[in-house]
Amino acid sequence: MTATAERPTTRPVRPAEPAPTRRRRHSGHRWRIWSGVIVCILFLLPLVWMVITSFKLQRDIFTVPPTIFFDPTLSQYVAAWVNQGLGPKMLNTVIVALGAGLVSLVAGAMAGYALARLRIRGAATIGVLILASRGVPPIALAVPMFLVARTLGITDTHATLILAYCSFVIPYVMWLMRGFFLSLPKELEESAMLDGCSRMGAFFRIIVPISAPGLISTFIFSIILAWEELLFALVLTNRRATTVPVAIAGMVGDTEHGANWGALAAAGTLTVIPVVVLALVVQKWLIRGLADGATKG
Amino acid sequence: MTRIPRVSRVLGMVAVAAAAVALTACVPSGDDGATPAAKDGGGLGTADKHVKITMMSNDAFAQAWQTQLVPEFNKKYPYIDVTIDSTPYDDLLAKGMLNGTDPDPQYDLITLDDPWTPQLANAGVLLDLKKSAAAWTEKGYDWADFNSAPLGASEWDGGQYGVPLRSNMLLMFYNKTLYQKAGLTEPTPELTWKQYLAEAPKLVQDTDGDGKTDSWAVGLTWQKGVLSPPVWQAVLNSNGGKLFTGDLKPSFDTKAGIAALQTQVDLLKYAPPGATAYNYTEPLDAFRQGKVATIFTWGSAYKSAAVDPAVTKLTPDEVGIQTMPAGSAGASTHRGIWSGSVFKNSKHPQAAWTFLQWMTDKEGEKWITNNLGSFPARKSTLASTPEQEWLAPVFTTLQSAYDVAAKGQMWRVRSVQSNAIQQILADETSAAVMGDTSSSDALKKASQQIDDLLTE
Amino acid sequence: MTVALSKQRRGRSSVPARLKDIAGRWSFMIPATVVLVAVLAYPLLYTLQISFSHFDLSTFSPGSWVGLENYTKALGNASFQNSLVVTGVYLVLALPLQIVLGFAIAFLLNAEWRGRGVFRALFLIPMVVAPVVSGGIWKMLLDPLWGVLGWLGSLVGLPPVNWFGSPATAMISVVMIDTWRSVPFVVLIASAALLALPKDVFEAAQVDGANWWQTLWRVSLPMLAPIIAATFIVRWLGAVKMFDIILTTTNGGPGKATEVVNLYIYQQAFQMLRFSESSAMAVIVLVLTTILTLVFLWGSKKLEDRV
Repeated sequence: MTATAERPTTRPVRPAEPAPTRRRRHSGHRWRIWSGVIVCILFLLPLVWMVITSFKLQRDIFTVPPTIFFDPTLSQYVAAWVNQGLGPKMLNTVIVALGAGLVSLVAGAMAGYALARLRIRGAATIGVLILASRGVPPIALAVPMFLVARTLGITDTHATLILAYCSFVIPYVMWLMRGFFLSLPKELEESAMLDGCSRMGAFFRIIVPISAPGLISTFIFSIILAWEELLFALVLTNRRATTVPVAIAGMVGDTEHGANWGALAAAGTLTVIPVVVLALVVQKWLIRGLADGATKG
Repeated sequence: MTRIPRVSRVLGMVAVAAAAVALTACVPSGDDGATPAAKDGGGLGTADKHVKITMMSNDAFAQAWQTQLVPEFNKKYPYIDVTIDSTPYDDLLAKGMLNGTDPDPQYDLITLDDPWTPQLANAGVLLDLKKSAAAWTEKGYDWADFNSAPLGASEWDGGQYGVPLRSNMLLMFYNKTLYQKAGLTEPTPELTWKQYLAEAPKLVQDTDGDGKTDSWAVGLTWQKGVLSPPVWQAVLNSNGGKLFTGDLKPSFDTKAGIAALQTQVDLLKYAPPGATAYNYTEPLDAFRQGKVATIFTWGSAYKSAAVDPAVTKLTPDEVGIQTMPAGSAGASTHRGIWSGSVFKNSKHPQAAWTFLQWMTDKEGEKWITNNLGSFPARKSTLASTPEQEWLAPVFTTLQSAYDVAAKGQMWRVRSVQSNAIQQILADETSAAVMGDTSSSDALKKASQQIDDLLTE
Repeated sequence: MTVALSKQRRGRSSVPARLKDIAGRWSFMIPATVVLVAVLAYPLLYTLQISFSHFDLSTFSPGSWVGLENYTKALGNASFQNSLVVTGVYLVLALPLQIVLGFAIAFLLNAEWRGRGVFRALFLIPMVVAPVVSGGIWKMLLDPLWGVLGWLGSLVGLPPVNWFGSPATAMISVVMIDTWRSVPFVVLIASAALLALPKDVFEAAQVDGANWWQTLWRVSLPMLAPIIAATFIVRWLGAVKMFDIILTTTNGGPGKATEVVNLYIYQQAFQMLRFSESSAMAVIVLVLTTILTLVFLWGSKKLEDRV
């Protein structure tokens, strides 16, 4: 009935199936699609709600049932920016995320390349160590980092925070880039080296340009990791280098003002939008990189 | 071609170095040696060279102070730039300790909650204001004008390490309309806990006649945290009991203590559903919506409970305020004073103390009370007529609360370990509130843990 | 070509050239090694050192050596034990749920149609939201008085639930929020894995007359087992770090019902300033995590070998 009216599938031609199966497949198929869409929408609803709330006045937020039609306002954004000092904190977050991303990309990509393509003895052990290092509870690092930084007088600086973030971003980058490099054809550097290039030269001149998408998406993933980090920022910063996650944690815990939801929603939206935009821009490569890393990990 | 520039470069460097040496010799060393007072670090600033001071404050009032208080302060002292940073409550004490021991401190001032002064003063990081800041104190400051209860919050071991900035006492607000609906007479300061508990069931009522209970008797902080033990402690104090003996031995694991904790647990029966999660804002919200007839909360909440039309529908006529119910030894309350202290390692102690002084002298306190609504600690302020009418009954209640508190020592334990002790009390009493253990078991455990802690 | 290359290399090889070769290869590892030694290895060793000493706040350095005292105190500490149990409960609840849900949703999303790529991309979004922000959002959504979820529940007749008010529901909320945040990650990996499954095995099963359930159990799952194991390990490593969400929603409450290990140690170190005790606890947690990770890795390898 409906089966034969469907548009032709793009899959290669298969042997003709008995009609009942095809009908079942198509109705089950549509059910699958719709369930997937609904699930996707459900997952996005909290974020949509946050964005909507960020434009509401306080009186429109605290209503039951929730108001759908309201006068939009930017006052919550102003409140978040002015009262919570969100501007400098966003700048700090950007600086630290970019810094950590860059350092980790360079160090991690080189190391990932070494593990993937160069015969390093003990590469397998190093691989396991990297994976295990991701299980180190951050608090185990935060305490000594804080103590050392304080003794050296370098708490509350961007550089300290960037280095701290490298402790977990570099292993991630190594893992991702190793998976990526493993999928490159083996002959690439060899032809360059035959021409007298050093390994390092071959890496930078041949491998890096070809891996640009992978590198960029890993860079963006590193930025995302550093962008959302809370514990090290809580511990290692004070007045000068505080980041947005710390500000948000402070806003949520503020019990006397209790329900500063509008400003919280505004701050949340402000900090989520750049990251979402970046992620969507590189989503194809990001997904592939994560999948490669997991399947070849 | 390279010789002349090189020579001139070297000469240039030598000139700069010589100038630097000369400059450092010119700067006065400033160490007279004989004065016990701290160095003033730039005094009160000049038009060309402002003095910058920073304060770490509880997030509840940091913003209001920064936007309203500091500009007013700058009218009198235009060359002192004050930045007030808000710090979450749980981190404040630790950050204070860290800042006080930091060779390069970032803060000059800190607000301290009631039980914290002993720990910081003991560690030597706070300035003794009566001694070391005496030279910078105005003649008319009049320390004796402070009520002893609020001032005592920042006293330790004979030194005065702070001044009360925001005095608060645990008080009872009641909704007169709901009492009327229940057919009960309004509470008076003589109301006892027994009477209160007897009346509570009647306050669980259905006010709009639809058959569903929509109004309950009481709201307070039941959730585990530093705010939950004070109610229990107030009940204990009202019957003459004390948390600790003079030499810091737990004395709350008694029949009176258990009965007091049980009272806090029993009050849950007359509270709205979900009250076990009540922290500070939830009972207040419930009260504002007319869902509870009484709340035991900090007096500072009165404004947002009964006065500010932006957040509440109730009016001062509808909301009564008084000390908490009485026991055999009189009315009960609990002290919760935020004091301001100066760090000893501050680079601008004079400017810092001037700011605190301005906030707490006779004129400053009146201004803050009338404009920011926080409560004063001075007898003179409480005896004066406030600008806002609604403050008048609050003043009377406050004065009596101070007296009551001073008599019964109704405050959290004063010890270097007070934060840790308060945590133990919070943990164990909240277990009783959640019904996980009995009141007697909870107090026994708390008593034992505190003993262990103090003998470590 | 590679054969010619290696012959060429062998012809030129001498000790300095070989050393140069090894140095050339290892030099790629140098930047990462330097940084990681400084910010990973050194702090861990320092934590170890502090854990064996009594930390002196006045000099801000480890003071006298106290041997295993911090460890015995930590292991005997009821609150620490509770935090381990709480963390265990959370992991046992969250991990299986996230893996199963992730693969199920991946199966749904993999349905071939025009919008597949779009919706798969949209699914990325909850994953990149900072955990702090997700804690904040859900704290508002689950508010017993004003939360949208409470209102939705009332529409279908459910009574208002005080999500953060009772120990059981608080844990469920935390698991729920973490699942919302982490399932997209599982979905993406699972989706890639599902696409990589060879179609001919499924066709063979269909020809043999296998129904949906049998196909799942006898065909899909065994083939997916290595991926499921790998995803489980990756998720496990992430879940163990749970901190941000709990800090912003329950702060360990009510009581100590959601006080996971990371939160407890953080409070001990940075609010109570107990550095030596918290270092010992951190080392204990590190050892436990490493052992379990190695166990899972070994198990996953066994699964791979079997397949």
